[in-house]
Amino acid sequence: MRNMCSGIIVSAASMLLLPALVIAQDDAPRSPWKYYPEEVRANEGPGGPAPVHDITGTWVGESSGGGVKRLIRPETPPPLTELGQRLFDSHIVEGGDVSVSETNDPHYRYCDPFGFPRNMNDQIRSMTIATMPDRTFVMLKFMNIWREIWTDGRELPTTFRGRGPDVHDPTYNGYSVGYWEDDYTFVVKTTGLDPGTWATEWGHPHSIDAVVTERFHRSSQNDLTVTTTMVDPRLYTREVQMGEVYFRWSPRQTFFDFTCVPSTVQRYLEEMADPAGGGDPVP
Amino acid sequence: MKMNIRKKAAALIAGVTALAAPTLAHHSGAAFDMSAPVVLENAVVTEFLWVNPHPLIKADITDEQGNTQSWTMEMGSTVSSQLVGWTRTALLPGDVVTLYVWPAKSGAPVGRFNKVEFDDGTVLRDSQRGADDGGRSDGGLRQ
Repeated sequence: MRNMCSGIIVSAASMLLLPALVIAQDDAPRSPWKYYPEEVRANEGPGGPAPVHDITGTWVGESSGGGVKRLIRPETPPPLTELGQRLFDSHIVEGGDVSVSETNDPHYRYCDPFGFPRNMNDQIRSMTIATMPDRTFVMLKFMNIWREIWTDGRELPTTFRGRGPDVHDPTYNGYSVGYWEDDYTFVVKTTGLDPGTWATEWGHPHSIDAVVTERFHRSSQNDLTVTTTMVDPRLYTREVQMGEVYFRWSPRQTFFDFTCVPSTVQRYLEEMADPAGGGDPVP
Repeated sequence: MKMNIRKKAAALIAGVTALAAPTLAHHSGAAFDMSAPVVLENAVVTEFLWVNPHPLIKADITDEQGNTQSWTMEMGSTVSSQLVGWTRTALLPGDVVTLYVWPAKSGAPVGRFNKVEFDDGTVLRDSQRGADDGGRSDGGLRQ
């Protein structure tokens, strides 16, 4: 009871002392090595016009604590072919009434790489974009991975099966090229995606033939929107709207580390999630 | 003294953010009974694993007959926990605390962490399920 009373008093006091706490936080020294989400929240508004042909820098997303608005999800239900529907139905998505022990999401069960395009629509924490003369890198803080987008005018590979010099094996992030559509919109096209990954956390499938188009549109100094579409005729009857993801400029240009480690996720599953789920976990 | 100041500051932050309305959590709570938390008094922390996807608190409780039960509970991610005052050394093996846990429906001694009360009255809450009604305590910041 004493502890309960203490908790109530602390909560009540916290309401009264909030302004003082905020002032104290503002006065406190801050490390250049740490990320402070309140700085992103305080950096309101557009912050000036967008620079021309420039998306370089560190951007934070909806899971950053920076108050960035939530993404627009991929269209649901998706326009699936018969094969696409079978694959979609085979993906047991965690969430709602489905616990971690019941999902067959390869990331949740094994820390498998998201692969692209899921790594651009799930766990949207932070990304750093770096521009070089012949390519642009998109470096995602979640799992510390990077995508390589060539801007030297090369053509995308289109053959991912069979034998011969024109065949390119699929990869988790595929093969990407980029170009500026206008002063503020950088367009990226990607092919050659590993078909073993999900396209979204909601279980959208993709095949080895998927072609994904992203539009990185910088509308101001502080605002960047990534809009994605996918064409995959084996699994979808038409082009799919894969949603829209929002980012804000990070004043300190740094972020938390966040990596899913296979050995620790196995311990998490064995000691926590699977016993909580009760039954046999889905392989 | 430093520890007390840090914990009190964390409690202030947690107290404020606990007032925020709950919103949809990223991970499902399907496995847990969210009707009322189990209260583990005089729980002895045996391990605090600061890992992803979820940190784990492991603690033993002993009843009057001397029977010990070992509990495991998960929290919000390390990132979201940091935003409400947690560090990887906020709990240490041997700490004696009161733990509030949303128990698993399966009956296993595991659950979703709600909050911890230290003997000085300090409270640290879970980011996603740390409010007294089981809602978020991180002010709506996504995990």
